[in-house]
Amino acid sequence: MIRILNLAAICCLIGSALYAYRIKYDTLYDLEEAARLTRQVDAEKLAIATLHGEWQAVSAPGRLQTLADKYLDLVPLNVRQTALSAAELPRKQAESDEIGAKLDALGLGEPTMTPSSRSTGGSTPAGSRKP
Amino acid sequence: MTDDAAAHGTDAAPATRAAPLRSLARSLLRMHIDKSSARILLVALAFGAIYATIAGRLVSIGLNGDERAVNHRASEVVANNPRPDILDRNGEILATDVQAVSVFAEPNKLVDKDEAVELITSVLPDLDARALREKFSKRKGFVWVKRDITQAQREEIYHLGLPGVGFLDEKRRIYPNGNAAAHILGAVNTDNIGIAGIEKYIDAHGLEALRDAGLPMTAESMKPVQLSIDLRAQHALRDEVEKGMEHFKAKAGGAAIMDVNTGEVIAMVSLPDFDPNQPADALDPNNINRMTVGVFEMGSTYKALTTAMALDAGKINLNSTFNVGSNLRYGKFTIHDYHTTQSVLSVPEIFLHSSNIGTAKEALTVGVEGHKAFLKKAGQLDRMRTELESAQPLYPKHWVELNTVTIAFGQGIAVAPLQAAMAVCALVNGGHLETPTFLKRSEADALALSTQLIKPSTSEAMRYILRLNAEKGSGRKADIPGYFVGAKTGTAQKVIHGRYSNTKNFTTFTAIAPSDKPKYLFLVVYDEPEAVKGTFGFTTAAWNAGVVTGRVIDRIAPILGLPPRFDQPVLPFPRLASTGAGSKQ
Repeated sequence: MIRILNLAAICCLIGSALYAYRIKYDTLYDLEEAARLTRQVDAEKLAIATLHGEWQAVSAPGRLQTLADKYLDLVPLNVRQTALSAAELPRKQAESDEIGAKLDALGLGEPTMTPSSRSTGGSTPAGSRKP
Repeated sequence: MTDDAAAHGTDAAPATRAAPLRSLARSLLRMHIDKSSARILLVALAFGAIYATIAGRLVSIGLNGDERAVNHRASEVVANNPRPDILDRNGEILATDVQAVSVFAEPNKLVDKDEAVELITSVLPDLDARALREKFSKRKGFVWVKRDITQAQREEIYHLGLPGVGFLDEKRRIYPNGNAAAHILGAVNTDNIGIAGIEKYIDAHGLEALRDAGLPMTAESMKPVQLSIDLRAQHALRDEVEKGMEHFKAKAGGAAIMDVNTGEVIAMVSLPDFDPNQPADALDPNNINRMTVGVFEMGSTYKALTTAMALDAGKINLNSTFNVGSNLRYGKFTIHDYHTTQSVLSVPEIFLHSSNIGTAKEALTVGVEGHKAFLKKAGQLDRMRTELESAQPLYPKHWVELNTVTIAFGQGIAVAPLQAAMAVCALVNGGHLETPTFLKRSEADALALSTQLIKPSTSEAMRYILRLNAEKGSGRKADIPGYFVGAKTGTAQKVIHGRYSNTKNFTTFTAIAPSDKPKYLFLVVYDEPEAVKGTFGFTTAAWNAGVVTGRVIDRIAPILGLPPRFDQPVLPFPRLASTGAGSKQ
């Protein structure tokens, strides 16, 4: 009986030693991982701050104005172009296809002389060419 | 025998005292298991104490962390000197920290100093080799080689493999908007410490103390500082003032937009300015902030203060009239009017024609002491306390009637333009004098800090007079349709060699919008503007500062979300209407 108990005690001892060993190295690993992640978070935060700064630099009003003056032909806002409420907005026009109407007027929608099949002759009329 | 007895007697006492000790020792050394309980108890106690100590230490480490590690981290962060971000009122970044690398050397660890100098200058060609050699020859443990190098340069120096040369990550302050809000933001030096503007204010209010205490500071632990500035308005204001300065060939220019109800400065410009990314320029005396550090005679703008004072004191009302037909004489001084007018003018007419004589007579109804007390109450005689540095106003120590006469129309007292703007805000916002601030503030907070300068009814009369002046008087250039603008011009002749010059002016233009319920105050000043094409030879305020103020209102009011109204406001001045004084509109 005593012997079995002794054996059990020894097993427990070895088991707990192994467990303690594992816990210690797991902890070390986790610590390193935590430190790595902290560093990464810091680096990301720094990158975000830098990007915020950069974004502000590229969207600085002075820079935008220079670019707009150079590439866009915008005119300053007139106060009469502003509306205080939705009711002041002009009503939406009825749907109309203006470009389509113009094409119709020009007759561009009509069938053309372009041959639609091989059987139709594609040659230009003879004799019209001048030397 | 007696000796023996005596000897025995003296021995007996220790023997009896030692007896329990001896029995304890004997019981501890006893080998029988059943009789060694005392020994086991002692051993148990000893081990118990040891384990308790270990456990206690573990708990204390677990709770506090390793002290040495904390100290180490703190010192590293302090070397970094991080600063809080500065944001505008809408959260746009005005100043932020970015990471920068600096290279340093420890001369006492350098093996071959000449070689080190040669190699480092080959990577950083802009360094002066001789100066570097001198630095290295000193018996110092630490010298900076160069602050703020690029990542590529860092790699190159790293691969030189020089012992005693290292890198330090530092914070560098950047101002992404360049010149836009230069004078408000100020600048920092190479150690990231504020030397001017809001940056200096941040250091003076807490940051420096925190840093000295060695508290670990990171960019995240610091709350961003939110200013009252609107970046879009700030840029537009600077742009317009700069264009005007070029057009009118002025020596300097300045402008401010204030929220009249909160005292917040929405935008402020002083030209010439500087790029805060080049901090050395911030200290150039030509680049001073003319709006707060410069003091100027504000000219006729002061007539608004005089009129309000006389109205508020009850000495006059809007229907009072003064004879301005003859010049005022004080000894060898004669006061005369710039605009020739008819001989009897009412109070609003005096304001519209900007009559010096009329305004002086208004001031005299209050008297010298009353005048002085009013200006003191209006904050015109003391240094203004904002977050930025400001100058002490200049006024005569010995203040006699003649001084009251001239100060009534803005001659003989020099204040910072923003200080005058502060007083005008109080004249139109219902009488609450609020010290301007560059930090975001609510109307309730501003009211709590304010003092009542004039009665609300006087304030309404002032709004009426200012509106009248924008409609029919000298303020017409800024009467942008839709905003019901009220305005006052001010042209002060500059003092050149001790006498007032006839050609060199300091011009100011103050406008409020909308006049019935003011929200914003616009102030534009120019130093020595010239007559150019289109001004018909005039250099007075309406022709330069006034024109620019008009453009500023036109461009910035929509940005600030001021709703335009194209119908005349119904009953804009109710109190005046009830007394019949403001019927003339």
